[in-house]
Amino acid sequence: MAEQIKVIVFALGNEEYGIDVDKVRTIERMMPITRVPKTYSFIKGVINLRGVVIPVIDLRGRFNLEETDYTDQTRIIIVAVGEMEVGFIVDAANDVVDLDRDDIDSPPEVVGGVKAKYLDGVAKVGEDRLLIMLNLAEVLNRGEVAHLEQLED
Amino acid sequence: MDMNQYLSMFIDESNDHLQSLNEKMLELEGSPEDIGIVQVIFRSAHTLKGMAATMGFEDLAALTHQMENVLDLVRNDKLKMQNFIFDTLFKSLDALEAMVQDITQGGEGKADVSSIVASLQAIVRGEAPAGEAAAPAPAAASSTPAAAPQQPAPSADPSGPAMSKEQIQLDEFQHSILEQSLTAGHRVLYIEVSIREDCQLKAARAYMVFDLLERSGEVVKSHPSVQDIEQEKFDRSFSLYFITEKDPEQLRTMILNLSEIEDAKLASIDADTLKQLAAEIETEETEEAPAAVDSAAPAPEAASPAAPEAAAPSDKPAAAAKKVVAAPSRTIRVDIERLDVLMNLFSELLIDRVRLEQLATEIKSQELTESVEHMGRVSSDLQNIVMKLRMVAIDTVFNRFPRMVRDLAKSLGKKLDLVITGAETELDRTVIDEIGDPLVHLLRNSVDHGVESIADRIAAGKPETGTVNLRAFHSGNHVFIEIQDDGRGIDRDKVLASAIKKGVVTEDEARSMSDEQVYQLLFAPGFSTAEKISDISGRGVGLDVVKSKIATLGGHVAVTSKLGEGTLFSVQLPLTLSIISAMMIRLGAEKYAIPLSSIVETGIIRKEQIRNVHGSKLIPYRDAHIPLMSLSRFFDTPSYSEDSEDETEIVVIRKGDRLAALAIDSFIGQSEIVIKNLGKYLPQVQGISGATILGDGQVALILDPNALIK
Repeated sequence: MAEQIKVIVFALGNEEYGIDVDKVRTIERMMPITRVPKTYSFIKGVINLRGVVIPVIDLRGRFNLEETDYTDQTRIIIVAVGEMEVGFIVDAANDVVDLDRDDIDSPPEVVGGVKAKYLDGVAKVGEDRLLIMLNLAEVLNRGEVAHLEQLED
Repeated sequence: MDMNQYLSMFIDESNDHLQSLNEKMLELEGSPEDIGIVQVIFRSAHTLKGMAATMGFEDLAALTHQMENVLDLVRNDKLKMQNFIFDTLFKSLDALEAMVQDITQGGEGKADVSSIVASLQAIVRGEAPAGEAAAPAPAAASSTPAAAPQQPAPSADPSGPAMSKEQIQLDEFQHSILEQSLTAGHRVLYIEVSIREDCQLKAARAYMVFDLLERSGEVVKSHPSVQDIEQEKFDRSFSLYFITEKDPEQLRTMILNLSEIEDAKLASIDADTLKQLAAEIETEETEEAPAAVDSAAPAPEAASPAAPEAAAPSDKPAAAAKKVVAAPSRTIRVDIERLDVLMNLFSELLIDRVRLEQLATEIKSQELTESVEHMGRVSSDLQNIVMKLRMVAIDTVFNRFPRMVRDLAKSLGKKLDLVITGAETELDRTVIDEIGDPLVHLLRNSVDHGVESIADRIAAGKPETGTVNLRAFHSGNHVFIEIQDDGRGIDRDKVLASAIKKGVVTEDEARSMSDEQVYQLLFAPGFSTAEKISDISGRGVGLDVVKSKIATLGGHVAVTSKLGEGTLFSVQLPLTLSIISAMMIRLGAEKYAIPLSSIVETGIIRKEQIRNVHGSKLIPYRDAHIPLMSLSRFFDTPSYSEDSEDETEIVVIRKGDRLAALAIDSFIGQSEIVIKNLGKYLPQVQGISGATILGDGQVALILDPNALIK
């Protein structure tokens, strides 16, 4: 019997992504963000989450997708990896699904414009729903970000 | 039994005891005749031994035991303190410290102490170390090698004669209880239990005995008292009066069945022996009367109404005498993390308070305003207390210095007095934790480079004993720590010559430098003036590290010196790192906080006052020109630029003695802000030192003026 996990489902562009529920602290509606100057463009700034200052990343920007305006559906998913707490701005987050670890297949090269190294795999949910599982450690890898910036320069 | 839960307590207390041992030893070195100090040292050593043995740190216990032997001879006037004894004892303390350190880091506290133990034993035998053939204490020989009287507890010392009887003293209250029990047909037993010598947890064993006995009867009185037994303040045996219905033999077997119990003696007491005892008590009490405080009235045998009251005093004198030494202040130990949590919670409260104040002014309800104002007052009191909780007397850092300076001076062959003032000055815990090393460096520097050798001092017409003053005091929102020596002072030319040679400055620069600038060269990386490299300081690393460490704490170092007369290092530190006063400013839609400590003044300048020199902007300030920085350009602020304004608000900030003006949009006002970090994910942001949460719940960034002035 394979391990069952719960996954928070969020939308980015036309794709649906998943994050292990254990990694998610809370999901917040859009709130005022204080811009932090002199940092990467995808770091939108910091928010006050009940007394704790937390940096917020636009996931679209992080994955080099086109950034769009925020809507009523826009959410900030606060994730905790190790001692790091970071907010992800996503287009929408409105579902939780149960998954079998066995159902997660290794990802193809590029899914929805997101490189495979940021992904843990792709899971099939139901008949025609594909869930892209994020590799949080890689998404939050700062060393890789610095490298990326250098290339852009 | 799981020892881990006691480990942190053991470490804390051991450190306390080691510290007090160090202090008292230094004190004793100053007045070797004072037996009172020896008593204190002995007690500390004894407690330390007890704790170490309980926790199973045998080397630690063995070494303290030997120290105790030496100290015991001293306090009984059988041995005179001499230099080599001091040195050996100090060496033992170092070894103990090393072991406790090892334990702190998770080690087992094992160390080879045999050589120190051997020299301690030699001292006990009355032998002086070779070379120092000075006459050993005359009386030492008379004390037999078995001079290791494990004194039960400090309490036993003053009241010695009364306790020397094997029997326990009963007051008439307890006496009457025993009497009544006998008449009621119960057995009264006198029990003496001795615990095996190798027992690690005497208190626990004793507890088991008590537990066992209390299940089958009642313990009327024990010696030492139950509290002392719990705190392991007894040697190997204790005795007690016990009322029961059980058979003595049966009880004895039960007690002996407990592990690590060596022997148990039980004696039945009948009415006659009880009477005898009572008679003894009375004679003793009359003898003791002048000494004991208020057990003066030798109450009649019959349980008089006053009896219950009289029950207490017989215990009291011993207990009171002990309290004087054991409890200098009433404190509790609190995990530092809990204090941090408290601080965080309070910060959140502070944010809500500001928010409420805003709402109250908007809503304009009289009652709301009043209660918000009251809450404001309470919360600022609360803020004071919370801040105070985190404050620690700088003594915790200073207290290791006398010893360090003593050792240093000795190894350098110098004579030195360290004068500490203001050790009670309080600083935030976070600062205290960090400031120790920089101060050690500065002190070592003063002792090594500042104070001259004895010969040089005499040649210069100074007293041969040098003085290093270590001062701490509050001033405004800052704490100053000063280290002043009366040594040779800093030789400007020598410093410059060395700096030029090392390429730190050019000759041209050197000529125009002020004295203060020259002294600051000492803090330049890779700079050391000492021609001879000693192992104390002068390896070229050091003062630059000191400076950067102090800078990270938000402080700075200033140096003043007079050739031939001495040098003063003055370290200025912020009182706290978690709540600061700041000026809130606006840049378009964005708000920023500038720490008040780095603001010199605020003002307004007109466009025509700004001059362009080589592409950078300068403005007149007092008699000079200072650079004007555009904060909006530095931060790429989208919603504001001062270029379009005729008049611009400026903030003049300072870093050391350099000034700069920042052009801003407008001022919001001054307020107390709680410093938060930006979270682990964000890399160091240039020009930003942290964030704070405003009354409206939004985050504002705190400027780092040090990064803005280059």
